[in-house]
Amino acid sequence: MIKAYVLILLYVGKLEEVLDKLRKIENIKSIAVTTGDYDIITRVSVEKLEELMEVTDKIQLAGGIKRTTTSVIEKEIEL
Amino acid sequence: MRIRIRKRYLFYILLTASSLIAAVTTSIDGVISYFYIKNPWIFCVSVFLVGVFITIFLSLFLSIPVGGKSIGSRIDPSFRRVRLIKRDEVGYHVMAGIGNTVNTLGYFYILSVFIDPSAVLPFFQVVILYLLITESLSEKDTPTLAEIESSIIVTFGAIMASISLSGEINVMALLVIFLIMNPGWVVLAIYQRKLKLMKINKKPNDSINIRLWNVIFTTVFTSVIVLLYSRTYFIDSIRTASKYYPWLSLTMGVTFFAYVLYIRALGLGKASISQAVKASTIIFVIPFSILLSRYMDFSFSANPTLLIIKIMGIVLVVLGVMTFALTEVKAYVFINAKGNQSIDELTKKIWHIRGVTAVSALAGKHDVLAKIRIRTLGKGYERIIRKLEGIDGIEKFSWESILKEWEEI
Repeated sequence: MIKAYVLILLYVGKLEEVLDKLRKIENIKSIAVTTGDYDIITRVSVEKLEELMEVTDKIQLAGGIKRTTTSVIEKEIEL
Repeated sequence: MRIRIRKRYLFYILLTASSLIAAVTTSIDGVISYFYIKNPWIFCVSVFLVGVFITIFLSLFLSIPVGGKSIGSRIDPSFRRVRLIKRDEVGYHVMAGIGNTVNTLGYFYILSVFIDPSAVLPFFQVVILYLLITESLSEKDTPTLAEIESSIIVTFGAIMASISLSGEINVMALLVIFLIMNPGWVVLAIYQRKLKLMKINKKPNDSINIRLWNVIFTTVFTSVIVLLYSRTYFIDSIRTASKYYPWLSLTMGVTFFAYVLYIRALGLGKASISQAVKASTIIFVIPFSILLSRYMDFSFSANPTLLIIKIMGIVLVVLGVMTFALTEVKAYVFINAKGNQSIDELTKKIWHIRGVTAVSALAGKHDVLAKIRIRTLGKGYERIIRKLEGIDGIEKFSWESILKEWEEI
Protein backbone atom coordinates (compact mmCIF):
# COMPACT_ATOMS: atom_id res chain seq x y z
CA MET A 1 0.00 0.00 0.00
CA ILE A 2 1.39 3.40 -0.98
CA LYS A 3 0.15 6.51 0.79
CA ALA A 4 0.86 10.09 -0.21
CA TYR A 5 -0.19 13.66 0.35
CA VAL A 6 -0.99 15.74 -2.71
CA LEU A 7 -0.63 19.44 -1.88
CA ILE A 8 -2.64 21.67 -4.18
CA LEU A 9 -2.46 25.34 -5.07
CA LEU A 10 -5.50 26.80 -6.89
CA TYR A 11 -6.41 29.74 -9.06
CA VAL A 12 -8.69 32.18 -7.21
CA GLY A 13 -12.42 31.39 -7.47
CA LYS A 14 -11.99 27.71 -8.37
CA LEU A 15 -12.28 26.15 -4.89
CA GLU A 16 -15.86 24.81 -5.02
CA GLU A 17 -15.45 23.47 -8.57
CA VAL A 18 -12.21 21.64 -7.69
CA LEU A 19 -13.63 20.26 -4.42
CA ASP A 20 -16.61 18.78 -6.28
CA LYS A 21 -14.27 17.02 -8.71
CA LEU A 22 -11.83 15.82 -6.04
CA ARG A 23 -14.64 14.22 -4.03
CA LYS A 24 -15.42 11.99 -7.01
CA ILE A 25 -11.88 10.68 -7.51
CA GLU A 26 -11.26 7.12 -6.31
CA ASN A 27 -8.39 6.53 -3.82
CA ILE A 28 -8.53 10.02 -2.31
CA LYS A 29 -9.01 9.26 1.38
CA SER A 30 -9.31 12.77 2.74
CA ILE A 31 -9.59 16.32 1.48
CA ALA A 32 -8.76 19.33 3.65
CA VAL A 33 -9.23 22.98 2.70
CA THR A 34 -6.37 24.81 4.39
CA THR A 35 -4.91 28.26 4.99
CA GLY A 36 -1.25 28.96 4.30
CA ASP A 37 1.07 27.77 1.51
CA TYR A 38 -1.49 25.37 0.03
CA ASP A 39 -5.21 25.68 -0.64
CA ILE A 40 -6.08 21.98 -0.46
CA ILE A 41 -4.28 19.00 1.07
CA THR A 42 -5.46 15.57 -0.06
CA ARG A 43 -4.42 12.21 1.26
CA VAL A 44 -4.20 9.39 -1.28
CA SER A 45 -3.93 5.64 -0.79
CA VAL A 46 -3.10 3.33 -3.71
CA GLU A 47 -1.71 -0.17 -4.31
CA LYS A 48 1.05 0.75 -6.80
CA LEU A 49 3.05 3.83 -7.80
CA GLU A 50 1.43 3.74 -11.25
CA GLU A 51 -1.94 4.21 -9.58
CA LEU A 52 -0.58 7.21 -7.70
CA MET A 53 0.28 8.78 -11.05
CA GLU A 54 -3.28 8.11 -12.26
CA VAL A 55 -4.70 9.87 -9.21
CA THR A 56 -2.36 12.88 -9.54
CA ASP A 57 -3.26 13.06 -13.25
CA LYS A 58 -6.95 13.19 -12.39
CA ILE A 59 -6.25 15.92 -9.82
CA GLN A 60 -4.24 17.93 -12.38
CA LEU A 61 -7.15 17.70 -14.82
CA ALA A 62 -9.73 18.85 -12.26
CA GLY A 63 -9.54 22.41 -13.67
CA GLY A 64 -8.47 25.45 -11.67
CA ILE A 65 -5.29 23.77 -10.40
CA LYS A 66 -2.24 26.05 -10.47
CA ARG A 67 0.29 23.57 -9.07
CA THR A 68 0.45 20.24 -7.20
CA THR A 69 3.20 18.79 -5.03
CA THR A 70 3.12 15.08 -4.25
CA SER A 71 4.81 13.81 -1.07
CA VAL A 72 4.95 10.04 -0.62
CA ILE A 73 4.69 8.84 3.00
CA GLU A 74 7.75 6.77 3.94
CA LYS A 75 6.71 6.04 7.51
CA GLU A 76 3.71 6.98 9.62
CA ILE A 77 2.67 6.98 13.26
CA GLU A 78 -0.98 7.71 14.10
CA LEU A 79 -3.55 7.27 16.85
CA MET B 1 -14.97 4.59 -2.57
CA ARG B 2 -15.88 8.21 -3.13
CA ILE B 3 -16.21 10.79 -0.39
CA ARG B 4 -19.91 11.55 0.00
CA ILE B 5 -20.40 12.72 3.56
CA ARG B 6 -18.18 14.50 6.04
CA LYS B 7 -16.95 12.20 8.79
CA ARG B 8 -17.92 14.72 11.46
CA TYR B 9 -21.54 14.85 10.26
CA LEU B 10 -21.83 11.06 10.15
CA PHE B 11 -20.45 10.91 13.69
CA TYR B 12 -23.22 13.20 14.97
CA ILE B 13 -25.95 11.54 12.88
CA LEU B 14 -25.03 8.10 14.24
CA LEU B 15 -24.95 9.27 17.84
CA THR B 16 -28.18 11.24 17.62
CA ALA B 17 -29.97 8.25 16.08
CA SER B 18 -28.49 6.01 18.79
CA SER B 19 -29.67 8.45 21.48
CA LEU B 20 -33.20 8.51 20.11
CA ILE B 21 -33.36 4.71 20.06
CA ALA B 22 -31.85 4.57 23.58
CA ALA B 23 -34.65 6.86 24.81
CA VAL B 24 -37.21 4.40 23.40
CA THR B 25 -35.42 1.45 25.01
CA THR B 26 -35.25 3.08 28.45
CA SER B 27 -38.96 3.84 28.27
CA ILE B 28 -39.75 0.21 27.35
CA ASP B 29 -37.47 -0.96 30.20
CA GLY B 30 -39.33 1.40 32.54
CA VAL B 31 -42.66 -0.19 31.57
CA ILE B 32 -41.31 -3.74 32.03
CA SER B 33 -39.72 -2.86 35.39
CA TYR B 34 -42.89 -1.17 36.66
CA PHE B 35 -45.54 -3.63 35.48
CA TYR B 36 -43.84 -7.02 35.06
CA ILE B 37 -40.32 -7.60 36.42
CA LYS B 38 -39.66 -5.61 39.59
CA ASN B 39 -36.52 -7.44 40.73
CA PRO B 40 -33.47 -5.89 38.97
CA TRP B 41 -31.37 -9.10 39.24
CA ILE B 42 -34.07 -11.17 37.58
CA PHE B 43 -34.73 -8.46 34.97
CA CYS B 44 -31.03 -8.29 34.10
CA VAL B 45 -30.55 -12.05 33.55
CA SER B 46 -33.87 -12.60 31.78
CA VAL B 47 -33.31 -9.69 29.39
CA PHE B 48 -29.96 -11.14 28.32
CA LEU B 49 -31.26 -14.73 28.11
CA VAL B 50 -33.85 -13.53 25.60
CA GLY B 51 -31.55 -10.88 24.16
CA VAL B 52 -28.84 -13.32 23.13
CA PHE B 53 -31.29 -15.13 20.82
CA ILE B 54 -32.72 -11.89 19.43
CA THR B 55 -29.23 -10.51 18.80
CA ILE B 56 -28.12 -13.71 17.03
CA PHE B 57 -31.31 -13.65 14.94
CA LEU B 58 -30.86 -9.98 13.96
CA SER B 59 -27.16 -10.47 13.17
CA LEU B 60 -27.94 -13.49 10.95
CA PHE B 61 -30.72 -11.54 9.24
CA LEU B 62 -28.33 -8.65 8.59
CA SER B 63 -25.84 -11.17 7.08
CA ILE B 64 -28.24 -12.00 4.23
CA PRO B 65 -26.69 -10.78 0.97
CA VAL B 66 -28.80 -8.50 -1.20
CA GLY B 67 -27.33 -7.15 -4.43
CA GLY B 68 -23.83 -8.46 -3.61
CA LYS B 69 -23.73 -6.82 -0.16
CA SER B 70 -25.15 -7.89 3.19
CA ILE B 71 -28.19 -6.04 4.54
CA GLY B 72 -26.09 -5.05 7.57
CA SER B 73 -23.54 -3.25 5.36
CA ARG B 74 -26.18 -0.53 4.94
CA ILE B 75 -25.85 0.12 8.69
CA ASP B 76 -22.10 -0.46 8.93
CA PRO B 77 -20.18 -0.73 5.62
CA SER B 78 -17.49 -2.83 7.36
CA PHE B 79 -20.00 -5.63 8.09
CA ARG B 80 -20.08 -8.66 5.81
CA ARG B 81 -21.50 -11.50 7.85
CA VAL B 82 -21.57 -13.00 11.34
CA ARG B 83 -18.15 -14.42 12.19
CA LEU B 84 -16.25 -16.03 15.05
CA ILE B 85 -14.05 -13.70 17.07
CA LYS B 86 -10.29 -13.69 16.51
CA ARG B 87 -7.83 -14.54 19.27
CA ASP B 88 -6.70 -10.88 19.49
CA GLU B 89 -10.26 -9.77 20.22
CA VAL B 90 -10.97 -12.16 23.13
CA GLY B 91 -9.35 -10.01 25.85
CA TYR B 92 -11.18 -6.88 24.74
CA HIS B 93 -14.49 -8.75 24.52
CA VAL B 94 -14.03 -10.14 28.03
CA MET B 95 -13.41 -6.62 29.39
CA ALA B 96 -16.34 -5.12 27.42
CA GLY B 97 -18.56 -7.99 28.66
CA ILE B 98 -17.58 -7.35 32.29
CA GLY B 99 -18.22 -3.62 31.79
CA ASN B 100 -21.64 -4.25 30.27
CA THR B 101 -22.58 -6.73 33.02
CA VAL B 102 -21.70 -4.31 35.83
CA ASN B 103 -23.33 -1.36 34.06
CA THR B 104 -26.54 -3.25 33.23
CA LEU B 105 -26.97 -4.60 36.77
CA GLY B 106 -26.60 -1.02 38.06
CA TYR B 107 -28.96 0.30 35.38
CA PHE B 108 -31.79 -2.09 36.27
CA TYR B 109 -31.33 -1.32 39.95
CA ILE B 110 -31.61 2.43 39.27
CA LEU B 111 -34.59 1.87 37.00
CA SER B 112 -36.37 -0.09 39.74
CA VAL B 113 -35.76 2.81 42.16
CA PHE B 114 -36.62 5.81 39.94
CA ILE B 115 -39.15 4.40 37.41
CA ASP B 116 -39.20 7.68 35.41
CA PRO B 117 -36.91 7.30 32.35
CA SER B 118 -36.19 11.04 32.28
CA ALA B 119 -34.77 10.73 35.81
CA VAL B 120 -32.66 7.65 34.98
CA LEU B 121 -30.95 8.63 31.72
CA PRO B 122 -29.23 11.85 32.89
CA PHE B 123 -27.22 9.83 35.41
CA PHE B 124 -25.47 8.15 32.47
CA GLN B 125 -24.15 11.51 31.28
CA VAL B 126 -21.91 11.92 34.34
CA VAL B 127 -19.81 9.12 32.83
CA ILE B 128 -18.20 11.74 30.57
CA LEU B 129 -15.98 12.83 33.47
CA TYR B 130 -14.69 9.30 33.92
CA LEU B 131 -14.02 9.02 30.18
CA LEU B 132 -12.07 12.30 30.05
CA ILE B 133 -9.82 11.17 32.89
CA THR B 134 -9.31 7.73 31.33
CA GLU B 135 -8.57 9.19 27.89
CA SER B 136 -6.11 11.67 29.32
CA LEU B 137 -4.20 8.70 30.77
CA SER B 138 -4.51 6.28 27.85
CA GLU B 139 -4.62 8.34 24.65
CA LYS B 140 -1.98 11.02 25.33
CA ASP B 141 -4.76 13.53 25.07
CA THR B 142 -4.96 15.73 28.15
CA PRO B 143 -8.36 17.41 28.42
CA THR B 144 -8.33 21.10 27.62
CA LEU B 145 -10.07 23.79 29.64
CA ALA B 146 -12.92 23.80 27.09
CA GLU B 147 -13.38 20.03 27.56
CA ILE B 148 -13.34 20.32 31.34
CA GLU B 149 -15.81 23.22 31.25
CA SER B 150 -18.15 21.33 28.94
CA SER B 151 -17.92 18.22 31.09
CA ILE B 152 -18.78 20.14 34.23
CA ILE B 153 -21.73 21.79 32.47
CA VAL B 154 -22.95 18.38 31.26
CA THR B 155 -22.47 16.84 34.70
CA PHE B 156 -24.30 19.54 36.64
CA GLY B 157 -26.96 19.61 33.96
CA ALA B 158 -27.38 15.85 34.26
CA ILE B 159 -27.70 16.04 38.04
CA MET B 160 -30.29 18.82 37.77
CA ALA B 161 -32.18 17.09 34.97
CA SER B 162 -32.31 13.85 36.90
CA ILE B 163 -33.71 15.44 40.04
CA SER B 164 -36.50 13.40 41.51
CA LEU B 165 -39.68 15.42 41.32
CA SER B 166 -40.48 14.44 44.89
CA GLY B 167 -37.21 16.16 45.88
CA GLU B 168 -35.81 13.04 47.58
CA ILE B 169 -32.17 11.99 47.43
CA ASN B 170 -31.45 8.27 47.46
CA VAL B 171 -27.87 7.81 48.74
CA MET B 172 -27.74 4.10 47.86
CA ALA B 173 -28.84 4.85 44.30
CA LEU B 174 -26.16 7.57 43.93
CA LEU B 175 -23.49 5.16 45.19
CA VAL B 176 -24.61 2.57 42.65
CA ILE B 177 -24.46 5.21 39.89
CA PHE B 178 -21.02 6.60 40.73
CA LEU B 179 -19.26 3.44 41.89
CA ILE B 180 -20.87 0.68 39.80
CA MET B 181 -22.94 1.80 36.84
CA ASN B 182 -20.75 4.54 35.37
CA PRO B 183 -17.37 2.78 35.84
CA GLY B 184 -18.97 -0.24 34.13
CA TRP B 185 -20.03 1.95 31.20
CA VAL B 186 -16.51 3.43 30.92
CA VAL B 187 -14.98 -0.06 30.64
CA LEU B 188 -17.62 -1.01 28.07
CA ALA B 189 -17.10 2.17 25.97
CA ILE B 190 -13.31 2.02 26.03
CA TYR B 191 -13.05 -1.66 25.07
CA GLN B 192 -15.77 -1.44 22.43
CA ARG B 193 -13.84 1.47 20.91
CA LYS B 194 -10.63 -0.58 20.97
CA LEU B 195 -12.49 -3.40 19.20
CA LYS B 196 -13.94 -1.00 16.61
CA LEU B 197 -10.49 0.42 15.84
CA MET B 198 -9.03 -3.08 15.30
CA LYS B 199 -8.35 -4.38 11.80
CA ILE B 200 -9.83 -7.81 11.05
CA ASN B 201 -8.30 -9.41 7.94
CA LYS B 202 -6.83 -5.97 7.12
CA LYS B 203 -10.31 -4.40 7.16
CA PRO B 204 -11.98 -2.28 9.88
CA ASN B 205 -13.84 -4.25 12.52
CA ASP B 206 -17.65 -4.00 12.29
CA SER B 207 -20.09 -2.86 14.95
CA ILE B 208 -22.64 -5.67 14.38
CA ASN B 209 -20.23 -8.50 15.27
CA ILE B 210 -18.90 -6.44 18.19
CA ARG B 211 -22.45 -6.06 19.58
CA LEU B 212 -23.30 -9.72 18.95
CA TRP B 213 -20.27 -11.00 20.85
CA ASN B 214 -20.70 -8.42 23.59
CA VAL B 215 -24.22 -9.73 24.26
CA ILE B 216 -22.94 -13.33 24.29
CA PHE B 217 -20.17 -12.53 26.79
CA THR B 218 -22.47 -10.35 28.91
CA THR B 219 -25.12 -13.10 29.06
CA VAL B 220 -22.53 -15.56 30.36
CA PHE B 221 -21.12 -13.14 32.95
CA THR B 222 -24.55 -11.95 34.14
CA SER B 223 -25.80 -15.51 34.49
CA VAL B 224 -22.73 -16.57 36.48
CA ILE B 225 -22.91 -13.55 38.83
CA VAL B 226 -26.63 -13.96 39.53
CA LEU B 227 -26.24 -17.73 39.91
CA LEU B 228 -23.51 -17.18 42.53
CA TYR B 229 -25.59 -14.48 44.28
CA SER B 230 -28.86 -16.42 44.38
CA ARG B 231 -29.75 -19.68 42.68
CA THR B 232 -33.44 -18.89 43.18
CA TYR B 233 -33.07 -15.61 41.27
CA PHE B 234 -31.43 -17.45 38.39
CA ILE B 235 -34.21 -20.04 38.16
CA ASP B 236 -36.81 -17.26 38.41
CA SER B 237 -34.98 -15.44 35.59
CA ILE B 238 -35.44 -18.43 33.27
CA ARG B 239 -39.15 -18.56 34.15
CA THR B 240 -39.45 -14.79 33.68
CA ALA B 241 -37.64 -14.94 30.33
CA SER B 242 -40.08 -17.53 29.00
CA LYS B 243 -43.10 -15.65 30.41
CA TYR B 244 -42.25 -12.11 29.20
CA TYR B 245 -40.19 -12.91 26.10
CA PRO B 246 -42.23 -10.61 23.80
CA TRP B 247 -41.42 -7.53 25.95
CA LEU B 248 -37.81 -8.61 26.49
CA SER B 249 -37.37 -9.31 22.76
CA LEU B 250 -38.72 -5.85 21.98
CA THR B 251 -36.35 -4.03 24.33
CA MET B 252 -33.28 -6.05 23.27
CA GLY B 253 -34.16 -5.79 19.58
CA VAL B 254 -34.37 -2.00 19.81
CA THR B 255 -31.23 -1.85 22.01
CA PHE B 256 -29.31 -3.81 19.36
CA PHE B 257 -29.64 -0.96 16.86
CA ALA B 258 -28.85 1.72 19.46
CA TYR B 259 -25.58 -0.07 20.29
CA VAL B 260 -24.62 -0.83 16.69
CA LEU B 261 -24.88 2.87 15.78
CA TYR B 262 -23.07 3.90 18.97
CA ILE B 263 -20.20 1.43 18.39
CA ARG B 264 -19.85 2.62 14.79
CA ALA B 265 -19.63 6.22 16.05
CA LEU B 266 -16.97 5.17 18.59
CA GLY B 267 -14.76 4.24 15.63
CA LEU B 268 -15.05 7.79 14.30
CA GLY B 269 -14.43 9.91 17.40
CA LYS B 270 -13.27 10.00 20.99
CA ALA B 271 -15.37 8.11 23.55
CA SER B 272 -15.83 11.24 25.70
CA ILE B 273 -17.18 13.32 22.81
CA SER B 274 -19.42 10.40 21.73
CA GLN B 275 -20.78 10.38 25.25
CA ALA B 276 -21.33 14.14 25.17
CA VAL B 277 -23.39 13.92 21.97
CA LYS B 278 -25.26 10.91 23.31
CA ALA B 279 -26.41 13.12 26.20
CA SER B 280 -29.13 14.35 23.80
CA THR B 281 -31.00 11.16 24.73
CA ILE B 282 -32.29 12.91 27.87
CA ILE B 283 -34.23 15.31 25.64
CA PHE B 284 -35.61 12.59 23.41
CA VAL B 285 -36.92 10.72 26.44
CA ILE B 286 -39.12 13.61 27.69
CA PRO B 287 -42.16 12.85 25.46
CA PHE B 288 -41.97 9.21 26.51
CA SER B 289 -41.77 10.20 30.19
CA ILE B 290 -44.82 12.46 29.85
CA LEU B 291 -46.70 9.61 28.16
CA LEU B 292 -45.67 7.01 30.74
CA SER B 293 -46.48 9.30 33.70
CA ARG B 294 -50.17 8.91 32.75
CA TYR B 295 -50.05 5.18 33.41
CA MET B 296 -47.30 4.79 36.01
CA ASP B 297 -46.81 6.02 39.55
CA PHE B 298 -44.65 9.11 38.95
CA SER B 299 -45.42 12.67 38.03
CA PHE B 300 -43.51 14.59 35.38
CA SER B 301 -44.84 18.06 36.10
CA ALA B 302 -46.43 18.05 39.56
CA ASN B 303 -44.08 20.60 41.16
CA PRO B 304 -43.36 23.69 38.99
CA THR B 305 -40.10 24.60 40.82
CA LEU B 306 -38.60 21.15 40.40
CA LEU B 307 -39.79 21.06 36.81
CA ILE B 308 -37.95 24.35 36.09
CA ILE B 309 -34.77 22.92 37.67
CA LYS B 310 -35.17 19.84 35.49
CA ILE B 311 -35.57 21.91 32.32
CA MET B 312 -32.54 24.06 33.28
CA GLY B 313 -30.53 20.88 33.70
CA ILE B 314 -31.53 19.67 30.25
CA VAL B 315 -30.58 23.04 28.73
CA LEU B 316 -27.17 22.83 30.43
CA VAL B 317 -26.56 19.34 29.03
CA VAL B 318 -27.39 20.57 25.51
CA LEU B 319 -25.10 23.60 25.90
CA GLY B 320 -22.27 21.43 27.16
CA VAL B 321 -22.67 19.08 24.22
CA MET B 322 -22.71 21.95 21.72
CA THR B 323 -19.53 23.40 23.24
CA PHE B 324 -17.88 20.02 22.77
CA ALA B 325 -19.04 19.71 19.21
CA LEU B 326 -18.10 23.19 18.04
CA THR B 327 -14.69 23.71 19.61
CA GLU B 328 -12.10 21.80 17.63
CA VAL B 329 -9.14 23.07 15.63
CA LYS B 330 -7.32 20.84 13.16
CA ALA B 331 -4.14 21.69 11.27
CA TYR B 332 -1.24 20.28 9.28
CA VAL B 333 2.31 21.32 10.15
CA PHE B 334 4.95 20.89 7.43
CA ILE B 335 8.42 20.43 8.85
CA ASN B 336 11.87 20.58 7.26
CA ALA B 337 14.75 18.99 9.14
CA LYS B 338 18.29 20.31 9.54
CA GLY B 339 21.17 18.44 7.89
CA ASN B 340 22.62 15.46 9.82
CA GLN B 341 19.26 14.90 11.51
CA SER B 342 17.66 11.43 11.61
CA ILE B 343 14.12 11.80 10.29
CA ASP B 344 13.05 8.70 12.22
CA GLU B 345 14.17 10.27 15.51
CA LEU B 346 12.55 13.57 14.57
CA THR B 347 9.17 11.94 13.86
CA LYS B 348 9.31 10.23 17.27
CA LYS B 349 10.07 13.54 19.03
CA ILE B 350 7.15 15.23 17.23
CA TRP B 351 4.84 12.30 17.98
CA HIS B 352 5.34 12.84 21.72
CA ILE B 353 3.85 16.35 21.54
CA ARG B 354 0.32 16.35 22.94
CA GLY B 355 -2.27 17.19 20.30
CA VAL B 356 -0.35 15.51 17.48
CA THR B 357 -2.63 12.79 16.08
CA ALA B 358 -0.41 11.61 13.20
CA VAL B 359 3.16 12.08 12.00
CA SER B 360 4.35 11.12 8.53
CA ALA B 361 7.92 11.03 7.24
CA LEU B 362 7.70 12.30 3.67
CA ALA B 363 9.71 12.06 0.47
CA GLY B 364 9.74 15.38 -1.38
CA LYS B 365 9.71 19.07 -0.53
CA HIS B 366 9.03 18.56 3.20
CA ASP B 367 10.58 15.99 5.53
CA VAL B 368 7.79 15.52 8.05
CA LEU B 369 4.06 16.27 8.17
CA ALA B 370 2.25 16.37 11.53
CA LYS B 371 -1.51 16.39 11.88
CA ILE B 372 -2.81 18.36 14.85
CA ARG B 373 -6.11 18.22 16.73
CA ILE B 374 -6.64 20.68 19.56
CA ARG B 375 -9.51 22.58 21.16
CA THR B 376 -8.33 26.16 20.55
CA LEU B 377 -5.74 28.00 18.42
CA GLY B 378 -4.25 29.33 21.65
CA LYS B 379 -3.48 25.75 22.63
CA GLY B 380 -1.85 25.38 19.21
CA TYR B 381 0.72 27.99 20.22
CA GLU B 382 1.24 26.80 23.79
CA ARG B 383 1.17 23.11 23.12
CA ILE B 384 2.49 22.70 19.58
CA ILE B 385 4.49 25.71 18.32
CA ARG B 386 6.51 26.19 21.52
CA LYS B 387 7.30 22.48 21.63
CA LEU B 388 8.34 22.41 17.95
CA GLU B 389 10.61 25.40 18.49
CA GLY B 390 12.23 23.48 21.31
CA ILE B 391 13.20 20.56 19.05
CA ASP B 392 16.79 21.00 17.89
CA GLY B 393 16.63 19.12 14.58
CA ILE B 394 13.97 21.34 12.96
CA GLU B 395 15.14 23.82 10.31
CA LYS B 396 11.72 25.41 9.68
CA PHE B 397 8.03 24.61 9.87
CA SER B 398 4.77 26.04 8.55
CA TRP B 399 1.30 25.79 10.07
CA GLU B 400 -1.68 25.16 7.78
CA SER B 401 -5.01 25.43 9.59
CA ILE B 402 -7.75 23.15 8.24
CA LEU B 403 -10.88 25.15 7.46
CA LYS B 404 -13.00 22.19 6.34
CA GLU B 405 -12.29 18.51 5.91
CA TRP B 406 -13.85 15.46 4.27
CA GLU B 407 -12.68 11.97 5.12
CA GLU B 408 -13.59 8.63 3.60
CA ILE B 409 -15.57 6.55 6.07
